[in-house]
Amino acid sequence: MLISVKDLKTYFFTHRGTVKAVNGVDFELRQGECLCLVGESGCGKTVTALSILRLFDSPPGKIVGGEINYNDLDLAKCSSKQLRQIRGKDIAIVFQEAQSALNPVLTIGDQITEQIKVHMPLDRNQIRDRAVSLLTDMGIPSAETVMSYYPHQLSGGMKQRALIAMSLSCDPQILIADEPTTAVDVTIKAQILDIFRELKTKRRMSTIFITHDLAVVSEIGDRAVVMYGGKDVETAPVPELIVSPKHPYTVGLINCLPDMSKSGDRLTSIPGTTPNPVDLPSGCTFHPRCPRAMKICSQEEPSKTTISAGHYVSCHLYT
Amino acid sequence: MAEKSLKTVSESGSSSGRGTGLVNYYWQRIRRNKLAVAGLAFIVFLVALAIIGPLFTSDPTAANFDEKDIPPIGFTYLQSAYNIQTDQITTKEIHGTPKHILGTDSKGTDMLAMLISGARISLLVGLIATGIAIILGTIIGVLSAYLGGWADNILMRFTDIMMTFPFFLLLVLIVFVFGPSLAIIVLVIGLTGWTGTARMIRSEALSLRTREFVVASKALGARDSRVVFRHLIPNVISLITIMATLAIPGVILAEAGLSFIGLGDPNRASWGIILQSGWRTMRTLWWVAVEPGIMLFLTVLAFNFLGDGLRDAFDPKSNV
Repeated sequence: MLISVKDLKTYFFTHRGTVKAVNGVDFELRQGECLCLVGESGCGKTVTALSILRLFDSPPGKIVGGEINYNDLDLAKCSSKQLRQIRGKDIAIVFQEAQSALNPVLTIGDQITEQIKVHMPLDRNQIRDRAVSLLTDMGIPSAETVMSYYPHQLSGGMKQRALIAMSLSCDPQILIADEPTTAVDVTIKAQILDIFRELKTKRRMSTIFITHDLAVVSEIGDRAVVMYGGKDVETAPVPELIVSPKHPYTVGLINCLPDMSKSGDRLTSIPGTTPNPVDLPSGCTFHPRCPRAMKICSQEEPSKTTISAGHYVSCHLYT
Repeated sequence: MAEKSLKTVSESGSSSGRGTGLVNYYWQRIRRNKLAVAGLAFIVFLVALAIIGPLFTSDPTAANFDEKDIPPIGFTYLQSAYNIQTDQITTKEIHGTPKHILGTDSKGTDMLAMLISGARISLLVGLIATGIAIILGTIIGVLSAYLGGWADNILMRFTDIMMTFPFFLLLVLIVFVFGPSLAIIVLVIGLTGWTGTARMIRSEALSLRTREFVVASKALGARDSRVVFRHLIPNVISLITIMATLAIPGVILAEAGLSFIGLGDPNRASWGIILQSGWRTMRTLWWVAVEPGIMLFLTVLAFNFLGDGLRDAFDPKSNV
């Protein structure tokens, strides 16, 4: 087990009240696996990822409870100096939009060598060689020339690949990918998924992959954590999750996938929207939208129930 | 996949080379604005004149009463004098001479020499005072945005307090107390003029700070200083350039205004000082006041045109 997150709570203290973005999440990342965090917008996926490296603005954000255990170190409480050593070197993040995650006024080369300089004891030529080979590994042709390009001179897919190369520059043990396939078209999406698949097979990279796209989850995920209202509501190996989802929210998400065999039907959706994180519903946060809600759901928070080995669900239906 | 990417590379390959890409791009955009190019040309001309001009002109402080009151070349000045012995008013015609293209003043000093040395002083005042103001403003703005919280609060309230001082009155007061010296004028303008810059830079840096590439840089283990110098400041350079260009004419005018009301440094012939020495004789020796006035007017206009052009060029939304 590489990282274990226990009852993590990250709140944002704003003028309009306390935003409980992450409100008790448990999961663990194992060596060499791809763990997917799945959920709608605003369910706390990204904040969970940012919490692992404490990358949110503080104030207003604060980890108010829980642990993030990594190599005998609690990342939720360790000093910022210790954290800076880990950032990029042991745990790296790939952001959603390459367009905004690359600095428009620096060349690709400048940006990719930036953290090699911080973390690795290499001289200038070695750093440059390393950067070029990283770009080549990501399938960027004529990487030497691309080094001197500015982000606006590259296509969207190239930018995303340069960004992944940047994250991999110091051989991190863990890669956190925050919706890397959301802002790109399908061809580039396929290319990026290929890269992640390759990382897993060739480098045995452990990945936390954040997405709202269950199709992507089924393609590259080993295990998935379904999040809702800042909590993990169901955790299961991906094949099991797709075939026999237990939580009504997971069932709803899977039903939302368009079925190509039935044309002409309206697409199904889960009624309502994600709850306001300032004012979460009582009991189970999903009960206002749940088709199978019971009386107890609005009164008591469900506890975790084991369905089978590695498959947990937090729902009153199964207690 | 490789083919597609190769094509993209070669398409954009025309503007390769480190640094030249962006500079070229902005130069192309500025070039389309004729007024900005004219402004830039005038400024370059003025700077060249200020640097090498004094080598070719006569001493701008030397008086020569034999050659006083000469109008600019192409003009004629009717000098009337009352002769007490003959009890008659005699009128003498003075023609402009090629020796003094822009004429001489009532002490016989060459106007061209004075204007060139004035350009030196006015530009120097403009550049140094603006430099001080912009550097201070950038430091305070970026610090304020980056540190946030109570540090932001203290810095911004200090900026508010500085903003409430009536700047010109403060300048008058300080010059009155410490005496009219160019160094003091430059320092006061520089040390009070940073407030607007600080605010603009702060708001820009605030939005930059939450941009993904700043978070990404932190995610890859960058220190605060690195984030500030590599990511925040390079991204506000365009804003700094625009603000500096638009601030310089204000400073030049402030110095001229001070000189005009008699609080300029009397030992340095800035345009304001020449203007001040000439306005009393506007009805006769008109050129002594008009010539520095035209120089001030053109310089301020040139900087404003260039500043506007830069603003349009740096704004990705404007269609220049």
